[in-house]
Amino acid sequence: MNNKLKLVPALLLSLSLVLSACGGAQDSASNTAGQSATTDTKSAEAPAAVKDGIFKATDMSKNPEAAKNRKDTFIVGLTEPEGVFNPYFYHNGYDGNASDAMFASLIDYDKNGKQVPGLAESWDVSPDNLTYTFHLRKGLKYSDGSPVTADDVAFTLTILHDKSYDGEFDITPAHIKGGQEYKEGKASSIEGIKVIDPLTIQITTTEVNARTLGLISGPVLSKAYYGKNYKQGDLSYIRTLHSKPMGAGPYKLDKFIPGQEVRYVANPYYYKGKPAIEHFIYKVSTPDTNLQMFQAGETDYDGFTANAENFEQLQSLGFANVNVYTASNYAYLDINHKKPYLQDKRVRQALAYGLNRQQIVDTNYQGYATVANIPASTVSWAYTDDVNKYEYNPEKAKQLLDEAGWKVGADGIREKDGKKLTITWLGTKSSMTDILVPIATENYKEIGIQFQPEIMDFNALLTKREQGDYDLASLSTSILLDPSDGVEGFTTKMADNGYSDPKVDELYQKSISTLDINERKKIYTELFKYLNDDLPVIFFFNRKVMSATNGRIHGLEPNSYTGISGDLAKLTIEN
Amino acid sequence: MWQYIIRRLLQAIPTLLGVSIIIFFVFALTPGDYVDTNIQLTPEKAHELKVLYGLDKPIIERYFIWLGNVMKGDFGFSLQFQKPVTSLLNDYIWNSFLIAIVSLILTWTIAILIGVYSALKKYSWFDVLVTLGVFAAMSFPSFFLGLLLIKFFAVDLKWLPVGGMTYGGSNSTGMAYVLEVLKHMILPVSVLTMLSVGSLTRYFRANMLDVIRQDFVRTARAKGLKERVVIFKHALRNASLPAITLLGFELPGLFAGAIITEKIFAWPGVGHIHMQALDNRDYTVLMGFTMFLAILTVLGNLLADIFYSVADPRIRLK
Repeated sequence: MNNKLKLVPALLLSLSLVLSACGGAQDSASNTAGQSATTDTKSAEAPAAVKDGIFKATDMSKNPEAAKNRKDTFIVGLTEPEGVFNPYFYHNGYDGNASDAMFASLIDYDKNGKQVPGLAESWDVSPDNLTYTFHLRKGLKYSDGSPVTADDVAFTLTILHDKSYDGEFDITPAHIKGGQEYKEGKASSIEGIKVIDPLTIQITTTEVNARTLGLISGPVLSKAYYGKNYKQGDLSYIRTLHSKPMGAGPYKLDKFIPGQEVRYVANPYYYKGKPAIEHFIYKVSTPDTNLQMFQAGETDYDGFTANAENFEQLQSLGFANVNVYTASNYAYLDINHKKPYLQDKRVRQALAYGLNRQQIVDTNYQGYATVANIPASTVSWAYTDDVNKYEYNPEKAKQLLDEAGWKVGADGIREKDGKKLTITWLGTKSSMTDILVPIATENYKEIGIQFQPEIMDFNALLTKREQGDYDLASLSTSILLDPSDGVEGFTTKMADNGYSDPKVDELYQKSISTLDINERKKIYTELFKYLNDDLPVIFFFNRKVMSATNGRIHGLEPNSYTGISGDLAKLTIEN
Repeated sequence: MWQYIIRRLLQAIPTLLGVSIIIFFVFALTPGDYVDTNIQLTPEKAHELKVLYGLDKPIIERYFIWLGNVMKGDFGFSLQFQKPVTSLLNDYIWNSFLIAIVSLILTWTIAILIGVYSALKKYSWFDVLVTLGVFAAMSFPSFFLGLLLIKFFAVDLKWLPVGGMTYGGSNSTGMAYVLEVLKHMILPVSVLTMLSVGSLTRYFRANMLDVIRQDFVRTARAKGLKERVVIFKHALRNASLPAITLLGFELPGLFAGAIITEKIFAWPGVGHIHMQALDNRDYTVLMGFTMFLAILTVLGNLLADIFYSVADPRIRLK
């Protein structure tokens, strides 16, 4: 999988289809205005966390005619496909969703994020964990009928090393032998990529890394189709092919109508068998009105902001299967470690104890999110619950600040060496911000901290953060396939908030230097506990994703890792 | 006349150059660039991309590279859409034009009719009610109005589609296609019309009131002309003169796209693109599009001046 990992403003957007769809910093606007008010007033009190699952349609007779009349077409709402249909070149996550339907990967992911065979029937890793061998299935074909071979895999990995490759996929952490030389033009092929026979390819790397397998087993591009005009150092021709994609996925592109629809037809050569539903369409919808579109039967599937109001409204439609699942990412309050006073662990812990995260999360999500205390989602295989919960405790926070030498001044604000304890927080415009600001102001005032919120557009926030002009910033990671994705940002090399801790670096390195999942789990438990205590950031919450499917569509079980793309080929329509 | 037009066009060049400098720097100086929007890139990868996209160069140099390309007729390449800016805009701009021109015609027709009538029946019930109505429509935020119409006409009554330009998967052609698009246009066009008709109605009403008090109208009536001729031939013509300038300003608006309305109705217009480009700091698209609108503004002004002289022989262009 090559979902690009992007930071998104915490809680922007009603997460579209999959978390990878995080197109940018659109404002999430008021997405329920104008609908009949079904506001649940109880929800202001602490609601119980909602369980994941699929809530089946109750009354299919309510299904609108528009949907019933569609016998061989499955329509999914998507916010903003832009037409860059290539899994290695898109910038906007929605184009990633659109590409997923057309390309097949060597290795797929199941609903728990485990790697399962895709185009590759099996794979072996050498005892030294440096060499990977993929065995392709027999008789694989692209949607134009041409065969899928090991040469195509070699070609795909090669162009990712080209110096003119301007997509955002980063292959370098895989450390394929000879990759750097190829990029610099010192070699005309990559030494570590070896095609053994048309169905077998061997990749040799120079460093053990648990993420390598994921990086080198992504979607396969046809060499005959994408590589016709390829010369080392010049990939510019490939742009003309973004609008004419060709892959081995379940569907092939029929037509892209900019701003309106991406239309597909079933790929007869798909290796798991031609999909039963002949036509598949991504129709442009907007978070403002996608519920109405779904309600009117114009779409069969869409994602919605996960909260009690939307859930009730969707369930009351009768014909909707409502899917609720926990996202694989987490939201956090970034801490600026370049500020001397935030380098003191006690101050960071006080900031965590002194903020009623539970109240904020419950008010905004009404049970559709849980407070996080480690950099992982509750659905991850590396998740552990055995850590400090930092439950709201102003007394403890005060005590920690006292210990750190911050004394309450005449105006109630703590001071140390003549400096007042003022915390500047950066956030984007969202319902979460509206709730966080008053609560945080109140909470922090109680423990003697002056809270200064600044609300701005996401790019401005990133720039301010880069300039170091902040104390806290609301951020969220995007889809996390491997647990390492969630902690990489705390390593000295990657941390742009100034955090650096040799123990974290060491544990991180250890966690990706073995491929044994049980061994890794142990290391992550240790790492998570350490991070939970040291607080490089204040962990905030894990949220849920909500989507709904028209009840006449069978076989769809969307999940945190593959969204709907994993199920596309096996769907059926009940007429 | 031709001399005047050519001189005005030549004068537009420094204006546009100045505009391009301002908007380039405004966009370039907004915090963050295209690569920064993805901060999980490793610093090396981010730097690599900046070099590939030319974002590592000093801002002044970037401006001149852009300007040089524009001189050659090349408006650049959208990073985000991986497409030349001109072909990208071409994909979306006509959809925006479609709803804008229809709503423009509707707005002006309605505004003239209502404006004239309420001027003639000043302070009548009709005048009061219309004034109330147009002010009410005008003061609604467009997203609220849009959502309200969707609820009534699309969700409750099921008469009209919620959004988009055609039905999902539709393959209609010819007349059927035209009807389908018309059906999808009704709601967005209504919103746009309702939002703009108010001020224009008031404008026509005020002008009309001014004109019918003047001597030449009295003279016309004294000559025994029919009231209809007096109003529409003598009064309305004179009342419309200042509106020509206003019409000239509408030209860029026809292509600018209505960001909020288009978003609510999922209309595939250029407003989307503009917003997306801003969010992603896709400078070439922002620059290309804004420059296009600047050119249209200059052109609209010129056209207004020319038409003004045609409509009112008292004005001579020199």
